[in-house]
Amino acid sequence: MKTLRSSCLIALLLVCLASCEKDDICVDGDTPLLVIGFFDVQDPDEAKVVPSLRVKEVLLDEVVNTIEDRSSTLDSIGIPLRIDASSTSFAFITNSDDDPITGEETGDIDILTISYQTREVFISRACGFVVHYDALNVTLPGNPNWIQDAQIIQPTVENSNAIHVKLLH
Amino acid sequence: MPSMLNYCISLLIVLLPLCATGQSESVNSRSRDTVVSSQKYGLRIGADLSRLVLSYIDEDYTGFELVGDYRITQKLYIAVELGNEERTQTEDLDGIPLYRFTTSGSYLKAGVDVNTYTNWFGMQNAISFGGRYAFASFSQTLGDYNIFESNRFFNPSFLPGAEPGEEFSGLNASWLELVAGIKVELFTNLYVGMSARLGFLVTNTEADRFPNLWIPGFNKVTDDSNFGVGYNYSLSYLIPIYKKSRNKREKRYN
Repeated sequence: MKTLRSSCLIALLLVCLASCEKDDICVDGDTPLLVIGFFDVQDPDEAKVVPSLRVKEVLLDEVVNTIEDRSSTLDSIGIPLRIDASSTSFAFITNSDDDPITGEETGDIDILTISYQTREVFISRACGFVVHYDALNVTLPGNPNWIQDAQIIQPTVENSNAIHVKLLH
Repeated sequence: MPSMLNYCISLLIVLLPLCATGQSESVNSRSRDTVVSSQKYGLRIGADLSRLVLSYIDEDYTGFELVGDYRITQKLYIAVELGNEERTQTEDLDGIPLYRFTTSGSYLKAGVDVNTYTNWFGMQNAISFGGRYAFASFSQTLGDYNIFESNRFFNPSFLPGAEPGEEFSGLNASWLELVAGIKVELFTNLYVGMSARLGFLVTNTEADRFPNLWIPGFNKVTDDSNFGVGYNYSLSYLIPIYKKSRNKREKRYN
C-alpha cells in the first residue's frame, strides 16, 4: 500500500504543477516610443534642455501625450509613431506659449518628418505582436527656426531604453 | 482555465477512494494460499476518452489518441500512444483579442510502464510509472491578430496586423515524458485507466515569426520553460496471448 500512497502523492503533485501556470500578463515588451535627445549644437555630446517644449503631431494637430507639455526640464523625450503609416510628422515648438489676446502659438516651430519601415514582431504569449521600426530617417525643414541638425544614433527602434535620434539646437 | 479545474477535480475523485484501500495488513492470514495465480499476457489496445469527449463539447478542439501496451514481464510493459489533434486558441488582454491561432498535427509516444502495484489474487489492476519519448509533427496557422501598443495616442484600440491567415508548416518537436497512471479492470479484459504526464521538451523546431505555443500531445508551451503537462483517460481491451504464473518471489505477500 506504500506505493499506492506515494503514487497518490505524485499524482497530486502533478496536479499542483499543472495549476501553477505562469500568469498571462504582458510584461515582456511593447511597441516602442521613438526616443529623441536634445543636444547642444556647439558641443554635440552635451545634452541641452529645451525651454518650454511642446510637441504636436501634425495630422492630428494634438499635443503628444507621452511628455509633460511645455516643460523646461526635458533633454530627451519619447514619442509614439504611427504604426499604420511609414512616416509621422511632428511640430517641435520651443518657448511655447499662447498669445494672451489671440490665443495663438508664439513659440518657434520646426516641423520634422520621421520616416521608417514597420516590422511586426511576436514578443511573447501574453503580449502577442508589437511593431519595431527599421531604416529610421529624419527630415528637417529647409529653413529651420531652432533645430540645427538631426543625427540618427540608432536606425532600428526595438525599445525605448536609449536615444535613437539626436536633435542639435 | 476551467478544463484544468475539471481535470483536477476528476483526478481527485478517481484517486481519493484508492487512499481508503490502505488496509492490506489485516489480510495476512490469507497469504499462505497455494493456488497458483496465473497472469494474462497480451496486447492491450484502446482509446483516450477525454479527447473524444473534448472533441464533442469543444468546438475549437478535435482530436483522438490511441493507446496500446504489450506486457513483457510481471511488471514491465511496452507502451505506445498515437494521436492527432487540432486546436484553436485565442489570447486576449483584458478582453481585447490579441491573436488567434490553430495548431494541427500528429504525435507518437513510445516507452515503458512499470506496474508497481501488487495485485491480490485474481486481480489485474495497475499503478504504474513510466517514461516515453514523444515526437510531434504539426503546423500552426496564425489567424486574426492585433498589434499590442500600450500608448493610445494614435489609435484608441489595437490595430489589426498586416498578414493574418499565415500558415507555418513543417514544425516538429520531441520531448521526454514522465507518466504516472492507474488502470483498473472493469470487466474481463476491459480496462479503464488514467494517467498524468509531465513532459520535458527536448527539441522544438519553430517558425521565425511565430513560436510554437501549443504542441499536439505536449499541450501548452510556456515561455522560458521546457515543461508541459497532459493527461488521458483511456478505455482499453486486453487481447490475451498467453498466461504465465507469477514467480515465487513475487507471489509472496508482505
